[in-house]
Amino acid sequence: MNEMTTLQPAVALAPGAGDAPAIPLGAGNELDAHTRRTLLQQERAIARKYTSDPKKMWPYTVITLGCFALWLAFWPLGMMDVLPLWVGFIASTVFAAGGYITSHEAMHSNIGRPGTKERFWNEAVGQVATIILIFPFSMARMMHLHHHYYTNDPEKDPDYTDAAPGKYSAWYKTWLNRQPGVDGSIHHYKRILERIGTPAAKAALRDTMILQLGSMAFFFAMAWSGYAMEVALLWWLPRHIGLSYIRFWLSWAPHHPRTGTGRYDNTRVFKTWIGHYLSMGMQYHVVHHLYPEVPNHLTRYAYREMKPLLEARGVDCSALKD
Amino acid sequence: MTTAIKQLFYWMPFLFGIGFIAPLIAQMLEYWQVSAPWGLSPVMFGLLIGAPWGLYATLRGRWL
Repeated sequence: MNEMTTLQPAVALAPGAGDAPAIPLGAGNELDAHTRRTLLQQERAIARKYTSDPKKMWPYTVITLGCFALWLAFWPLGMMDVLPLWVGFIASTVFAAGGYITSHEAMHSNIGRPGTKERFWNEAVGQVATIILIFPFSMARMMHLHHHYYTNDPEKDPDYTDAAPGKYSAWYKTWLNRQPGVDGSIHHYKRILERIGTPAAKAALRDTMILQLGSMAFFFAMAWSGYAMEVALLWWLPRHIGLSYIRFWLSWAPHHPRTGTGRYDNTRVFKTWIGHYLSMGMQYHVVHHLYPEVPNHLTRYAYREMKPLLEARGVDCSALKD
Repeated sequence: MTTAIKQLFYWMPFLFGIGFIAPLIAQMLEYWQVSAPWGLSPVMFGLLIGAPWGLYATLRGRWL
């Protein structure tokens, strides 16, 4: 008898997941302690099935390093007019936005756990993937883990500044938060890191300063050498478009309206017409917040199995039937 | 050192206007074969736009 079979009777305790219980039970916090514990055990059993196996995560490494190598190649190819800049622009924009996804797996050590031989590749992916965004891995990892610890806390969630009442204002805010005098995005991250003040936070601030100053020096040197259009189309615009895309789809969309701070209500299940891939798997973000060790490409499958358990917990899964 | 770096980042939009936007405007004019007004060179015209724009962004805290 396997674990799931053992736990089957408890599923019946979940409302709408089988035979009705003798005593009607509510959802979410109204569940009794035994039911909550049993549901959690079942949830964990499903999550374990989909937990990342670093030995199978090599496509993330190959894609990240391959895209980075291509992006580097775009520079001489664009400067020598071998590659049309518009082609480089489209590809660089995809790399900028997509890079965050692979980096995100590295932030959660899903590509290589500490102390394993895959760890090198985990860190390599993290370091390289967000260079186009001018967003160092050390800062990205610290801020993202803070986001997990304090999701939707107005004071402590580094991503809370993405909150907006609607999708149009959310897109606008992705731009507004990057403005020099606005306390949003990376400016907000810097302030949080200064407040944290640990050696790791100081190192993240140092890395940010080096990457920002280094990239600006590169921008200025290239621009005054006659390659401003190349910089604009291979780095500057892709970065801005990529950051807005990420902020909207990875931060605003799955957390709107940012009111819940509990385990089961700090994200929302939603459906979007642009689909699973263009929304970067964020429709199933609830699974990620519950089990960050489940890699992005498997959250959909984990969600399908967890759906009855999530509904029993009071999660509104009506937007996604499967 | 920290103060100097903070000042450098404070003035970065202005530097960005001179260091990147100005040459970008100049090269865009040349690419589309558009003459700069008032007989200015493309670079001078770029600086005339980029520097005040960067200064505006520095002082107001927004590019637009």
